[in-house]
Amino acid sequence: MKRTLWCAAALAAVIWLGAPSSASAHAVCGNRVFPATLTMDDPGVGDELSLPTIQYLPIPATGSNAAGHSIDYGFEWDKTITQDLGVAINDDYFTQHGAAQNLHGWDNLTATLKDELPCWDAHEFLASVGVIRNFARTGSSQLINAGAIGNVSDTAPTLYLGKGLGDLPIGYLRPLALTGELSRQFSDSPEVSPDAWAYAASLQYSVPYLQQHVKAMNLPAFMGRLIPLVEVSMTNPDRGATTGTIAPGFLYEADTWQLGAEALIPANAATRQKQGTGFIVQMHFFLDDILPNTLGKPLFDKDIWQ
Amino acid sequence: MRRRHFTAIAFAAGLFAAAPAHAHAFLDHANPAVGSTVPTAPAAIALWFTEHIEPAFSTATVTDAAGQRVDRGDAHVAADNPAELQLGLKPLPPGTYTVHWHVVSVDTHTTAGTFTFNVGK
Repeated sequence: MKRTLWCAAALAAVIWLGAPSSASAHAVCGNRVFPATLTMDDPGVGDELSLPTIQYLPIPATGSNAAGHSIDYGFEWDKTITQDLGVAINDDYFTQHGAAQNLHGWDNLTATLKDELPCWDAHEFLASVGVIRNFARTGSSQLINAGAIGNVSDTAPTLYLGKGLGDLPIGYLRPLALTGELSRQFSDSPEVSPDAWAYAASLQYSVPYLQQHVKAMNLPAFMGRLIPLVEVSMTNPDRGATTGTIAPGFLYEADTWQLGAEALIPANAATRQKQGTGFIVQMHFFLDDILPNTLGKPLFDKDIWQ
Repeated sequence: MRRRHFTAIAFAAGLFAAAPAHAHAFLDHANPAVGSTVPTAPAAIALWFTEHIEPAFSTATVTDAAGQRVDRGDAHVAADNPAELQLGLKPLPPGTYTVHWHVVSVDTHTTAGTFTFNVGK
């Protein structure tokens, strides 16, 4: 039986590796390429790898506890099943120094199933729907016992939106784009860990879009690949304070990878009680470009909507 | 922990080093330039992409402000540059023209885009 399974798996792998694919796994809609954002998800599905995502946050002193800081070392792997349907897994290794106690260990695992809806090319409008599942008790028991990570799983139906402003009549505003994400997190035990709304938005200015579709500015090559942006991410639990961050920064778009860096500024007083201003940096790889015939293509070269 | 740092960085570096030269083909530059105004009508346009493109699946058209085709329908990849697409134009009166391109890079990724240029105004 085991041998039969291995043979079937090997055959499937051969078929998958050998099958031609015409997929474009970037989140492209009309003239617009929606880049991978750092504190929220982009509105498309793709074959991508974020590794590493490093987040540094100072932790203010509270009561008898001294100040400290935390550092997360995260990854996310996005894999397309069909051209428009994808899954993602992400996790991070959490460390905390000072601030009552030193901690380190793996965070809980998170998985996402996401489907990209047909894009409206002329208006650069792209939307996806997905479900995010956070698996409690898959992380470090030390972190769970310290309350640093949750001990209750939750499931979050999520809507992702992206709108490029390429249809504006003012040329220099056309490189602007907005993206958004709205989730309702349903806790497995709401009496222990409340349900919550999570929402996020980004405002981006794509210099590549300016150069390719509006006006060639003859900028230095480095500047021609920059996307300055600001992201705002908030979580509003049914019980407890709303917290979140404002994250201004930039993305640098190379042919097969992207580098992003943003400041993480507490968005309100409740957030400032838990963290100071930190930063996040991320290396992001376009697997559809790096490994187009293996990991970088859909398992099935189909599109649910076509 | 230090070992995990090294592993993650080494894996990321390995991916980066293993990256082949092929990726999505985006417009690098064009002649006439994107959004430019040229004093006299060009006889042809040339589009340079960031990657080599497939001749059989890569094309471009040019339309005037009324949406009428003004190109000669002879879009082709330059013989001496697999990343350059060329297209002949009919005589153009002053006006605004839109270039529509649609290309497939040699690793089969499809990209498309538009831009405008002006003649004599």
